[in-house]
Amino acid sequence: MRILAQQLVLGLMLGGLYGLAAAGLSLVFGVLKVLNVAHGELIMLGGYAAFFVVGLFGLDPFASLLLVVPLSLLLGVALYAGLFGFVVRASEETRVKNSLLIGFGLALSLHALAVRLWTADERSIITPYGGAVLRVGGLSIPVLRLTILALAFALIAALHLLLTRWRWGRAIRATAEDWEAALLSGIDVRRAYLLAFALGTALAGAAGTLVAIGYSVSPSIGLEWTLKALIVVVLAGLGSMIGTFVGGLVLGAAEALSGFTFGGPYREVVGLAIFVVVLVARPRGFFGR
Amino acid sequence: MLEVQDLEVSYGDVRALGGVTLTVGAGEIVALLGPNGAGKSTLLKSIAGLLRPRGGSIRWEGEDLGAVGAHEIVERGLALVPEGRRLFGSMTVGENLELGAFAPHARRVHAESLERVYALFPALRERRGQLVRALSGGQQQMVAVGRALMSAPRLLMLDEPSLGIAPRLVASIFDSLVEINRAGVGVFLVEQNVRASLSFAHRAYVLEGGRVVGSGPAAALLEDPHVRRAYLGPLAVRA
Amino acid sequence: MSGVSDRYERRWTIAILAALGALALVPLAPVRDDVLNFVFLILLSITLAQSWNVVAGYAGQVNLGHAAFFGLGALVTRTLWIRGLPIPIAMAAGAAVAAAFALLMGAPAFRLRGAYFAIGTLALGEILRSTVGNVLPEISTLPAASIAGYRLIHRYYLALALAAVSVLAVAALAASRTGLGMEAIREDEDAAEASGVGALRLKLTALVLSTGLAGLAGGLFAYYHISYYPAHAFSPTWTFDALLMTYIGGVGTLHGPVLGALLYVVLKEYLAVRWVDFHLLIFGALFVAIVLLLPGGLVQAAARLGSARKNP
Repeated sequence: MRILAQQLVLGLMLGGLYGLAAAGLSLVFGVLKVLNVAHGELIMLGGYAAFFVVGLFGLDPFASLLLVVPLSLLLGVALYAGLFGFVVRASEETRVKNSLLIGFGLALSLHALAVRLWTADERSIITPYGGAVLRVGGLSIPVLRLTILALAFALIAALHLLLTRWRWGRAIRATAEDWEAALLSGIDVRRAYLLAFALGTALAGAAGTLVAIGYSVSPSIGLEWTLKALIVVVLAGLGSMIGTFVGGLVLGAAEALSGFTFGGPYREVVGLAIFVVVLVARPRGFFGR
Repeated sequence: MLEVQDLEVSYGDVRALGGVTLTVGAGEIVALLGPNGAGKSTLLKSIAGLLRPRGGSIRWEGEDLGAVGAHEIVERGLALVPEGRRLFGSMTVGENLELGAFAPHARRVHAESLERVYALFPALRERRGQLVRALSGGQQQMVAVGRALMSAPRLLMLDEPSLGIAPRLVASIFDSLVEINRAGVGVFLVEQNVRASLSFAHRAYVLEGGRVVGSGPAAALLEDPHVRRAYLGPLAVRA
Repeated sequence: MSGVSDRYERRWTIAILAALGALALVPLAPVRDDVLNFVFLILLSITLAQSWNVVAGYAGQVNLGHAAFFGLGALVTRTLWIRGLPIPIAMAAGAAVAAAFALLMGAPAFRLRGAYFAIGTLALGEILRSTVGNVLPEISTLPAASIAGYRLIHRYYLALALAAVSVLAVAALAASRTGLGMEAIREDEDAAEASGVGALRLKLTALVLSTGLAGLAGGLFAYYHISYYPAHAFSPTWTFDALLMTYIGGVGTLHGPVLGALLYVVLKEYLAVRWVDFHLLIFGALFVAIVLLLPGGLVQAAARLGSARKNP
């Protein structure tokens, strides 16, 4: 029983990261109707950026967020201007398909680039307080991962505030709901797209940083994280960032449960199976409008 | 001052407008009548910048709007209340209205604009925290008109505002349009309810098959035999 | 289809088959094994690309779980062949299992449109890979007797035959009523459905053909390698390779996948020396450029150049 509880706690902490990873993908998909399957690679890049920032400047790993997030924002602007900005010119159906293909090409290129630059080895950021553990009711809670969970939630909350209090945040939501009506309200929809994409990339960068701190990065984690993000987006539906975060927690818990029940190797499979079932049965997810 | 000259708009190979010419003067209320599929919505959408015409021109206060983006057209003082209202359902009345004032020139006066909208539609003031999708059709239409008004337009265009709204509320919406016009805003109205719209419009055009087939002062059109037969007679039953 | 005429394609079909025929003569000369291996890889890639092309190019759906069928073909073929079944039967069984699985998954999967179908099939593929990796983690090695009796030439000719079969199958499909129906679906599914085309049945036909060919390719893979990890045949790399080759060559055409496969393998062999996966970087960038600028791939580019030259 205690092992199950322990596994669940660890699963929830990982789930928070799943939620953060999914938030960026959800934002971009909801607003631009673009499925960026290179999102996982952007997370990977964020992780490497954090790794090198910490190595170069000797910053506290969590402080590296302050550098990685703005850098990711800029990367998002560049990717939109150079690539995805062209994809949004097509109709919605063509757009989704093209973005899938382009995201795929981008993912492949980024993966190859990462292998060339940094080799296929796994990297992890070593933190001085990394081994600290909180003991609560017989459970061991790694402080590092708890901090990561808290940060992930904080970032999601910040995103939520941005989308509700900030003028352009509301414009982004309006564009997601009805871009023509947004235009008629005087909103420059292209600018809303750019902002949403940049924000999505920034979120990916943040997620990557946390992954590098609490777990590890290597060039191949891209596909893995893209799939996790996709699963959560489909589970939670579009339109609610908090809902997406909860969806991530649910996936984390489900994986922990299945790992406990069927054995370690089958953790992944259950998540994927749930994904396929929900996709076929209810494409709009559970929290979506 | 809106001047549409020989406007041609197509959806792929299908011609929706085949050379439309009309004007709306400053401070006028002009009605656009015609059967379904005549191209009335197409015309309004083209003026608002949502559709690119294949030929002809649209001039607003002397400027050619051909290359101007839809959101910039709002900044120039032209607002469209689209068919079906197209509100942001997941947001509140207040948020929808505020978004209407997104354009820079509208943003500067958004507090006054909001007051004016609430004065015009008192029901909205008490509902400003409610989600728009929870409102009735008539109330949603008020929000739609209000949102367009928040952009501080000099010309307000409306596409079938009375569609799906209880008759009593329709009358009050038309009354608001008259009041809006009295404050100096031009009104360009596409309406099914021909009798009602001709009763308060100054002029009207008749659009059929993508062309203007009739125009004149509203009173004159009310007497016009073709208009009477097609749109006002016992056979022309409107919902 | 990408602005390429039927007669043009028929000429290409003949040219390709002639080239394959010429390749049949290669082993008669004293060539080194690595030449045969290199050509084998090209032939396998042609089959793989053509198999993916059937669903993407003709039925208009992006199947990202393609590797699952390659893997199933490999798994079944390997298992039966090691048990003593002759390779043709083992491969046929592999193809049958792959196609049957496709049929099972097909009806619910095709309820998904566009991108959802793509990510759904991706997930399915990953489920299979993960499961096989867990159930069969050990490397699969041929028994000593098979290793002693290993003849590269057999694999070579089998690959040749398979490549020819895949090209002919696609040619036959394109010319048939089924093929025309598929093209209608690809252009506008709703309109086609309304005119009685029976979209689901056509899509399932395409899927069965596609996965059957993929299963055969997988069987060939299992026959060729002396030892490999069973899960490797389910790796999404096979899907992505097929996707890249087909798109860059020209999806929906007959010779596009062939050209794409040729270019891909050549580039991979000659670039791998200095940069690991450099060919992927190039192909990735090329792929993006093609999706954005030239959806018909190299075939379309060549056709444009050809017609440009005709007009002085």
